[in-house]
Amino acid sequence: MFNRPLSSSNGHGTEQSRSYGDGELICQEGESSSEMFVIQSGSVRIFKARPPGHGRPSQPPEIELAVLNKGDFFGEMSLLEGLPRDASAVAQGGALVLVMTPGALLVRLRRDPTFAFEVLRRLSGRVRSLNARLVAALAESEAGPSAREPLLYSPETKAAGVP
Amino acid sequence: MIIDIQEERLVVISDLHVGNPYSAASRNLGEFFEDARRRGYNLCINGDGFEILQARFASLAADSAGVLRSLRRLIDAGRRVFYVVGNHDIALENFLSAWSGIQITPFLNVTSGDARIRIEHGHLYDPSFVKSPRFYEFMTRAAGPFLHFYPDVYRIWTSYEELKHRVSGALRGKRSSVSVYHDAARMLLRRGFDVVVFGHTHHAEEVVFEPGQRYFNSGNWVRGGTFVEIERGQVSLRRWGTTT
Repeated sequence: MFNRPLSSSNGHGTEQSRSYGDGELICQEGESSSEMFVIQSGSVRIFKARPPGHGRPSQPPEIELAVLNKGDFFGEMSLLEGLPRDASAVAQGGALVLVMTPGALLVRLRRDPTFAFEVLRRLSGRVRSLNARLVAALAESEAGPSAREPLLYSPETKAAGVP
Repeated sequence: MIIDIQEERLVVISDLHVGNPYSAASRNLGEFFEDARRRGYNLCINGDGFEILQARFASLAADSAGVLRSLRRLIDAGRRVFYVVGNHDIALENFLSAWSGIQITPFLNVTSGDARIRIEHGHLYDPSFVKSPRFYEFMTRAAGPFLHFYPDVYRIWTSYEELKHRVSGALRGKRSSVSVYHDAARMLLRRGFDVVVFGHTHHAEEVVFEPGQRYFNSGNWVRGGTFVEIERGQVSLRRWGTTT
């Protein structure tokens, strides 16, 4: 019923809109895919599976990284690097997303230069956040062993966006 | 540099061309800024605020002083002022971030009420600017003297661009919008925006593409006095002098 294209590639490369129902999986951690997504309406929850051996048994098996809303984008890492998905995404309360293949992204960047600016800004923010976490992790390791999980999935990770 | 902002009350003006001898902006803006201050609106100048390409420095300095004083009063009253860089004031990019209390930015993504609004000058979608920015700058400078004969020379340029776009679309056999700016706005709207506001063409307009998806152009203050008003997600095109 959901997850069907709502528009073709008329004048927009191979961009197309897809609708997802509440809780429907948009992309899954580890899968091979080279599309990125822009949220046209609704919300999307991003999460990673908890690494084996991390956390207590009572904790949920998933770690929520972010909840993204209209205008946010995700999935650009797999598109740019050609590597498997680093995190999963599900629609939260239903979502309409614009799906871009690498070719569609190139067409978009040519016609919509501010989109490139926004993607680069997001990636730059993520590098800055990772640098801060790296410094904190190094400082902690010099101070002695400590719990690493809060560093791996800190609030900065959420703020920087994913996957 | 600020790009994403939350604003419940914002007025957007563009194409003031302060410093251009034929711009009436410096005479009319004081009252407009005072009205914004009194009614509690923040301000966005959506490009081509100061005429850096076509004006002599003396003229720019003389006209700017009063406008900057008015802006200072607005800022001192606690209002926020944003300046989106256009093609006639592209030199201001060197001040990206803040200049004298004014936030300078290449574009703005505004959240207001439930609406997401893109504010951008629009020159990046002007085919002539994109294809040959240096030639475009040269032609813009060269057009300066023609302002002595016909101040609205910009309209000739805009009409020419619209005609060219329509003809090339017809030749390609594709359904084409009236304006490249409408095409650009549609493309931005597909990214989760509800409203797109451009300037650049000097032609104030409101276009409803489909319910909930609208394009505005904030017009100009060279001869006119139009602005876009944003009030808790509601967006409207207004003409100065008919608001109070």
